[in-house]
Amino acid sequence: MSGGGLRPGQRLWLALLLAWLLLPLLPLLVWSFAKGWHYPQLLPATWSLDAWRYVLAPESQVLQSFGSSILCSASVAVLATLAGVPAGRALGMFEFRGKRLFELLVIAPTIVPGLAVALGLHVIFIRLGLANSLPGVIIVHLIPTLPYMALVMAGVFANYDASYEEQARSLGAGTWAVWRHVVLPAVYPGIIVGALFAFIVSWSQYVMTLLIGGGKVVSVPLLLFNFASAGRNDIAGAISILYIVPGVLIILLSARHLRGVGAMRTYSNP
Amino acid sequence: MKGYGKAAAAALLLAPAAGWAQPAAEVLGLSWAEIEERARGQTVNWYMWGGSDRINAYVSGYLGELARERHGIVLRRIGINDTAEAVNAVLQELEAGVAEDGSVDLIWINGENFRTLRQADAVFCGYLEQLPHNRLVDWSDEAVSYDFGTPVDGCETPWNRVQFAFAYDGARLAEPPRTMAALLEWIEANPGRFTYPAPPDFTGSVFVRHVFYHAAGGPEALLGPFRQEVYDEVAPKAWEILNRLKPSLWRQGRTYPRDGTALGQLFANQEVDFHFSYDAATFGTGVEAGTYPAGTRSYGLADGTIGNTNYLAIPANSPRKAAALVVANLALGAEAQLHKAMPDIWGASPAIDVGRLPPAQQEAFAALPRHPAVAPAAELARAALPELRAEWVVAIEAGWQEHVGKR
Amino acid sequence: MSASASPRREHPRILLLLAPALVALGLLFGGGLLLGLARSFGYMPLLGLTEPNLDAYRALFADGDFLASFALTFYIAFVSTAVSAVLAIGAALILRRSFAGKRAMLFLFQLNITIPHLVGAIGILYLFSQSGAFARLARELGMIAQPADFPALIYDPAAVGIILQYVWKEIPFIGIVVLASLQAIGEDYEAAARSLGAGRWQRFRHVLLPLMAPGVIAASVIVFAFTFGAYEIPALLGQHHPAALPVLAYRLYTDVDLAARPQAMAMAMAITLLCALLIAGYLYVARRWLRWS
Repeated sequence: MSGGGLRPGQRLWLALLLAWLLLPLLPLLVWSFAKGWHYPQLLPATWSLDAWRYVLAPESQVLQSFGSSILCSASVAVLATLAGVPAGRALGMFEFRGKRLFELLVIAPTIVPGLAVALGLHVIFIRLGLANSLPGVIIVHLIPTLPYMALVMAGVFANYDASYEEQARSLGAGTWAVWRHVVLPAVYPGIIVGALFAFIVSWSQYVMTLLIGGGKVVSVPLLLFNFASAGRNDIAGAISILYIVPGVLIILLSARHLRGVGAMRTYSNP
Repeated sequence: MKGYGKAAAAALLLAPAAGWAQPAAEVLGLSWAEIEERARGQTVNWYMWGGSDRINAYVSGYLGELARERHGIVLRRIGINDTAEAVNAVLQELEAGVAEDGSVDLIWINGENFRTLRQADAVFCGYLEQLPHNRLVDWSDEAVSYDFGTPVDGCETPWNRVQFAFAYDGARLAEPPRTMAALLEWIEANPGRFTYPAPPDFTGSVFVRHVFYHAAGGPEALLGPFRQEVYDEVAPKAWEILNRLKPSLWRQGRTYPRDGTALGQLFANQEVDFHFSYDAATFGTGVEAGTYPAGTRSYGLADGTIGNTNYLAIPANSPRKAAALVVANLALGAEAQLHKAMPDIWGASPAIDVGRLPPAQQEAFAALPRHPAVAPAAELARAALPELRAEWVVAIEAGWQEHVGKR
Repeated sequence: MSASASPRREHPRILLLLAPALVALGLLFGGGLLLGLARSFGYMPLLGLTEPNLDAYRALFADGDFLASFALTFYIAFVSTAVSAVLAIGAALILRRSFAGKRAMLFLFQLNITIPHLVGAIGILYLFSQSGAFARLARELGMIAQPADFPALIYDPAAVGIILQYVWKEIPFIGIVVLASLQAIGEDYEAAARSLGAGRWQRFRHVLLPLMAPGVIAASVIVFAFTFGAYEIPALLGQHHPAALPVLAYRLYTDVDLAARPQAMAMAMAITLLCALLIAGYLYVARRWLRWS
C-alpha cells in the first residue's frame, strides 16, 4: 500500500465521510428512547422506554415478524445457494454453448427493477395460492438474490484450481465424494459470504414483500414503514435499531472471509 | 368471469386447492350456536390500518384475548397502510378466480372502499340478523344505515362513530377560528402555517369536502345521488377558494403532506398550526404517546363538521366466515365497545345505541372520563354534517387533483 | 465455442449445473416480465382478456404525468449515481493507504452496505426535514426563526432528501468495489509512473483512473438501475406530485379501479425499457471513453 499514514486533509475528509455514513442512525437511536421529541428540542425533554417496551411486547407482533423475516431470509439464502453454486461453477469453469445468453439471464435481474417483475408475477402467484404466503415471498426474493449468488460463485470458481478434482477422480472418487471432499472445502468461504449477503439482500426487500406478501407476510420493513408513516417515530426508531442488528453481525462474521471473495459480495445490494 | 371458458385448460392446471371454503349460503343457514361451534379453532385475518399502537394493542391484545378465551378463535391483525390495499387484495383474488379461498376475512372499512367492494359483489351480506349484538344498533339512524350514502344493507357491522375535528396547540394559539370562513381568513393572514393532505387521502379528502360545503353554502344541495350540473356549479367555486389559498399554505402549496399522519408530524414540529382528523380520540392518544404536544386541543366548527360511521366487512371469498362473524359480533358487544371508548385505550365513540343497554352499562358509558385534548362527542354532535355519497367523494377527489393538486 | 479453460465433454453435466438457476430465473424473472408485458397489452387469457391492444400505452403517454415522472426519476438516478461515484472514488483513494485504525475505519465504511434503505430514509427524514435535527441546530444557533426558514430538503421538487439517502447508501457500495480493484493492482504501475516523473494528477489520470474504471462503471450501472427502479425511498421522502415512476406504477397497480391495472403494467414495462436503454447508452459512452484513453 502506498505511503504510511494520511495527510491532515485526508484525515479530515475521512472523518467527515464516516460521520456522514453514521449520522442518519443517530436520530433513530435517540428517538427509540424519546417521547415527544419535537421541534425545537435539540435533545428529548422526556426520555422513555415505552417504544422498546412496545416493540418487545408480544401483542405488538414485532418480535414475531422479526422471526418470520429471519425464517424468510434464511430460506432464501439456502435456496439461492443450492441453485447459485452449481450455476457459478458452470459460469466460472466451463465454456458452453449459450453461455452469453445465460450470463444475460443472470445479470438482467440486477438491472431490471424488481417491482416490474413482481407486478407481472402477482396474478399467477394468486392463482397458485402463493400470494399472501411466506413461501411465495421466499420464491420472489430469489429474483434479486440468486443472480448475485451465481455471480459471486462464478468469481470464486474462476480462481479455483480444478486439478485436485482430476486427481481425486483418477483415484476413483465419485461425483458426490469429489464435491464433498474437494469442491466444497475449497469454495466454502465464498459460499458462506455469498449466503450471508443473500440473506441481507432478502432482509432488505420491501416492495416485493409488500406486493406478494399482500400485507399478510409481515416482515420487519413492512412494520417499520407502517410506524414511520404513522408518525410513531419512537417505535420506528426502536424497530430500525433491531432491524440493522443482523447486518452488523454479518459484516463482523464475514470479515474473516472477505479477502478471498473480493468486492463481488456487495453486488446486487446497492 | 367473462370468457373464462377459453382459459379452461390453464384454469384446470392452476386451480387452487378448494380448501374448506364456506359458501355464504351455508353459513347463513346456521344458528348462532352452530356458527360459534364452526368458528372454533379458525384463524381470522383482520386487515386494518396499522399505524396506531393503541388501536393495534386493543385489537391484538384485548379483542384477540377475548376471541381466544371465549371462542377458541385466533385473531390475526394484518396491519396495512391504507384500507384500499385490503380491498385491492380481495378484488385481485376474485379477478384471478380465487372465489372461495381468499386470504382476507375481515376489513375495517367505510366509504369508497365499501362501495367498491359492493359494486364488485365482493362482500358477504345478509348476516346481521344472526349477530346477537345487532339489537344494540339503531338502524333507523341514517348515519349508521348509510355508509357514505351507500346503503349498508346487511353487508357491514358498525364498529365506531367518528366526527371530524380540528386541533391546535393551546400553547401556541390562544383562540382558533371556529367557522370555515374564519379559518380561510386565518390561513391567508398567517401564511405557511396551514396545509392539508393531498386527496385521495381520506383526511385530506374530508377537509376538501368541508370547503366544498362552504362553497355550496351548506351540504343540502349536494346530498343524494351525484348530479353533474350541481357539481359543475359548485366545483369551480371550491377550486377557486383552494387555489387562492395556495400561496398561503405550507410550502406555498407546491406540495402537500402525504396523509393525515404526515400532517400530524408537521403539527407536532410546529411547521403548521393546525391538525385535523376524522377521529378526535386520536388527539388524546397522540398526546399520551408523545406524538402531539401536551397543549393540543380539538374542536368542531360552528357551521358543523362531517361525521360518519366505520364498519367491519367480510369479503365474499373469505373461507372463514363463521369466525369472522363471531369476531365482528364480539367487537360490537357493549363490553368491547366500552373498553374501546376508554380514553387510555382508544377513546373511540361507540357504534351501538347506548340507550339500548341496561342502566348499569349506560352509566359506565356516561362516566367515561374524557381526555382534555379530545373534543366532547356531544359538543361536536350539535353541529354534525352528513357525509356525501361515495360518487360525490370520488368526483371531488378527481377534480381536486386535476384543478388544484397538479396546478 | 472457445477452446480455452476446460473444454470438457460434459454437456449433460453442465446442463445439470445450470438447471436450478435456469429454471428459477427463467420462470420467475422471464415469466414475470412476459406476463407483465402481456398484461400491459391487455392480454391475459387467465382473466378472460384475449384481445391485445395498445390502450394502456396510449393512456400512459397521453398523460403528462408520465413524462414529468420520468424526468424526475432520471434526474434522481443520474445525480445520485454521479455524486456517489465521485465521492466513492475519493474515499477509496484514501482508504487504500495504510494508516492507524484502518481496520476499524473499513468496518465503519462498509457498515451501511448491510443497512436497509428504508432505515436510511427514515434517518435522513429526521435529520433534514424543516423541523429535523439540522433545523433545530440552526435555530439554536440563531440562523432560523421558524421551520419554514430552513431550506426544504424533504418532499421538495429537487428531491434533495432522496438523493442524500442514495448517496449515503451508495458511497460505500461503489467505494468497496473500487477499493478492491485498487488493491488487486498493487502499486507497481504507480511507482513506475512516479519514477518516470509523473505528477500526482497525471498518476491519477493515466494510471489509477483507467484501472478503476471497469469497477466504477459496473458498480454505477447497478446503482443507476437500483435508484431508477426503487419504490420505498421516493414513496417516503418524495413530494406528492410529480412522483417517481415506480411510485406511480405502484399507485396505479393498487388503484381500486381494476381498469388501471394494465396501465400499471405498461408503466412497469416502460421503466424496464427506459432503464435498459439508459444503461446501454451509458455503457456505450463509457466503452468509447475507455478505448480512447
